[in-house]
Amino acid sequence: MLTFILRRILYSVPVLLVASFLTFWGIRSTFDPLARFRSSRDSARLVAQQRKALQLDHPIVWQWWHWLSGFVRGDMGTSWRTHENVSEMIRRASWPTLQLLFWGTLVSLTLAIGIGIYSAVKQYSVGDYAFTGLSYLGIAMPPFWFGLLAIGLLVTYPKTHWNLNEPILYSVGLHSEGQSGLNLDYFRHLALPVAVLAVQGVAAWSRFVRASMLDVLNADYVRTARAKGVPRRKVIFKHAFRNATIPLITVVALDTAFLIGGLLITEQIFAIPGMGRLFLDSLLTGDAPVLLSWFVVVAITVIIFNLAADVLYGVADPRIRVS
Amino acid sequence: MSDQRGSVRLFACFAALAVVLGAACGSSAKQSGTTASTVAPKHGGTLIIGAEQEPDCMDWIASCAGSSWGTWLAEIQTIPFAYRTVPANDKNTGELKSVPGPVLTGEAKLATTPVQKLTYSIAPQAVWSDGVPITCADFAYTLDQQQHGTDLYDQTGYLDIAKVDCSHGAKTVIVTWKPGTSYASWKALFSGTVGILPSHILKGKDRDALMKDGYSWSGGPCIAKGNKGDSIELTHNPKWWGTPAVADKVVFKILPDTSAEFQAFKSGQVLAIYPQPQIDVVDAISAGGLTGANTLYNSNTATVEALWMNNAKPPFNSTAVRQALAYSVDRDALVKKLFGKLGVDKAVNSLNPYVARDYSNPDATAKYHLDLDMVNKLMTGAGWSKGSDGVWAKSGQRASFTINTTTTNRRRELTEEILQQQLKDAGFEMKISNMKSGDLFGEKLPQGNYQIALYANNLTALTPGLCTLFCSKNNPDTHGGNGNNWSRANVPAADPLLEAVDNNLDESTRMADGKRADDLLATDMVALPIDPLPDILIWSKKLGGPIQDNSIEGMFWNIDRWGLAS
Repeated sequence: MLTFILRRILYSVPVLLVASFLTFWGIRSTFDPLARFRSSRDSARLVAQQRKALQLDHPIVWQWWHWLSGFVRGDMGTSWRTHENVSEMIRRASWPTLQLLFWGTLVSLTLAIGIGIYSAVKQYSVGDYAFTGLSYLGIAMPPFWFGLLAIGLLVTYPKTHWNLNEPILYSVGLHSEGQSGLNLDYFRHLALPVAVLAVQGVAAWSRFVRASMLDVLNADYVRTARAKGVPRRKVIFKHAFRNATIPLITVVALDTAFLIGGLLITEQIFAIPGMGRLFLDSLLTGDAPVLLSWFVVVAITVIIFNLAADVLYGVADPRIRVS
Repeated sequence: MSDQRGSVRLFACFAALAVVLGAACGSSAKQSGTTASTVAPKHGGTLIIGAEQEPDCMDWIASCAGSSWGTWLAEIQTIPFAYRTVPANDKNTGELKSVPGPVLTGEAKLATTPVQKLTYSIAPQAVWSDGVPITCADFAYTLDQQQHGTDLYDQTGYLDIAKVDCSHGAKTVIVTWKPGTSYASWKALFSGTVGILPSHILKGKDRDALMKDGYSWSGGPCIAKGNKGDSIELTHNPKWWGTPAVADKVVFKILPDTSAEFQAFKSGQVLAIYPQPQIDVVDAISAGGLTGANTLYNSNTATVEALWMNNAKPPFNSTAVRQALAYSVDRDALVKKLFGKLGVDKAVNSLNPYVARDYSNPDATAKYHLDLDMVNKLMTGAGWSKGSDGVWAKSGQRASFTINTTTTNRRRELTEEILQQQLKDAGFEMKISNMKSGDLFGEKLPQGNYQIALYANNLTALTPGLCTLFCSKNNPDTHGGNGNNWSRANVPAADPLLEAVDNNLDESTRMADGKRADDLLATDMVALPIDPLPDILIWSKKLGGPIQDNSIEGMFWNIDRWGLAS
């Protein structure tokens, strides 16, 4: 197992190097970090000053290598936009994203498993058809549209039409002014962003669970277990579901990893200062140190989650050995 | 200049009852107000306000602080300014004036001979939040930073200052210019986006490191605390020598998405917002749902959006063609299409924004209205004739050109679409090619590689700066690539007048010269002003206090006077 993990990590290094260079080159070619200075009153001096300060006169390969040399020593550099330490910016942005991810994954997984199992067990029932339809609706629904719709219907409408003192649910940030910690206020803020995440997650993962369960439920050993008189509930949850989780582990692990940097729309709509918003703010200003570090952090996260998925395979199915 | 430093400027607008300004104030000005200023606030409480953009940093003189939002949210309430720009009255007309800030005892004394010299008198009770008096040393430190500091955003006006003399007492500041130099916009010094910095805290240290992430000291009514990515909080400065702030705390929540911002306001999560004058904002306002809210739309602002023609490149290297284009456009109809839902339906008629109208003729381009007969007369008089395709042509050259503006700006894109149709009717063929802001302002305009462009001239002080934009000496083609006369305007008679506006210390001369220059530029049609970008203020009836627009210092210029409605 350890050898496998080490080998996977080693294979990832050249991939990260090449990808980081391509990302850097793409950013530098596309976004001009001096753009916001070019129309200022003192633009000639300012642009020259910034070009020198940001070392933009050096070749792109040199600039990238300069960043990489610092990164491997733990120095992610300084943001060209805010002059802040990049590692601090990423650390601060990752916490809200991790909260959203945790709760979103928990809710999505719980609902997806329940719906998937029900749909598989009650295949072709009215409930199954209903969940199938809703799943496709969820997959097709753009998150930004659903988010704004949810805010309008569940935050604004009740507040304005029932003349409430405050909204039932909130759409700004993760805490009200003066509040912190895990309390009712926190969950009232969390409800809608988690719902936006869950819509897509539940829709996709429930289909997966349903398909996997159907495969397993039709297997010989399940039929044998039923024939032997094993209770139905035990057959479904102990035998069938456990085998059906193996492909689900892959999907959930990868989807969750990609969401580390993919909550852009949700964070923008709900004013949550997470990784997605950090990415967008940095991208629009061509803030290469932040973007590169962001990219590497997200890539490493994907690799870790991928590895975790492989490890969990072994836990879920003792027959699987990685060597 | 363009709409940067102010890349995100939010301007206000409109209300149900529009107040039509008199002709002397400019025919395009339209203003409406509510009576929010009569709602008395009660002391205490917390105000939660929506803000569309977070400042990148809080080192206000550094390159990272180029956004106006930082000034609006935190700088004005924490940094002392020699002069403030404030509304000239309480009638929400948009007029502004410069007044000495609370840090001064009164107007600075200006001497013009033998060199320009300014004498400031600092208020005896003016102190920083740690109790240390604000003194001449702070002015001297600020000047030193503006002249020799690292990573500065804008040094304009400071480089010609010879010295700050503190030998007449700690509370007396004498600023002397170098011989042969002068700076007419001296009220913008130690004010605006620079202010006065505390020497006892910053001198000898890394100013940027100590300020960029926020600072706990203050020379204003509030102390600011930034929660990166989330909010900026203002609380009382216990050592503030003026009237204490009304509310205990003001929290600016950062809401970057316009739709979410409106929902947050409608649901009461924020008590006020100050959105940009974009199409989706106009639509959101006109869609309704703002019952229980006050709205104010102010078109008398510090910004003018205009068509900037390259006077050195065909077909606009001909005055007749430029004038013909001006007569081809129904600017009022265009403005009405953009902002009619807010009651703003008149074009501006000066390249100087409204706030600088004392130095301009607000009706300079009023004569340029849709007149296709005049177009025909001008073009045929210049030797053009219409081809079989209905487009003017001369010596094998068609009156076909490309317009450039910034991408992802729906208001500008809509403007281009309307212009395209209007110009087609007049015999001009206009193609659209939009690009990133950096490409437009960084390459295309400075290099003169364009024919006509659409962008805004935005002032950050009450005095105009048209010499920068139109004086011949600032033509980058003839001055080694330097200079912001991107239009390549060449109106020799206007040059000395525009320079006088910048440098002459006699106000009446500046005003008279500015008006004459405006007329000359309009006759030559160097650029065609189109629309004022209105300021839009929306606030809850739960808010009280003298809420008024301030196109220079932003809606929150006096937020220390706001409170919950009593």
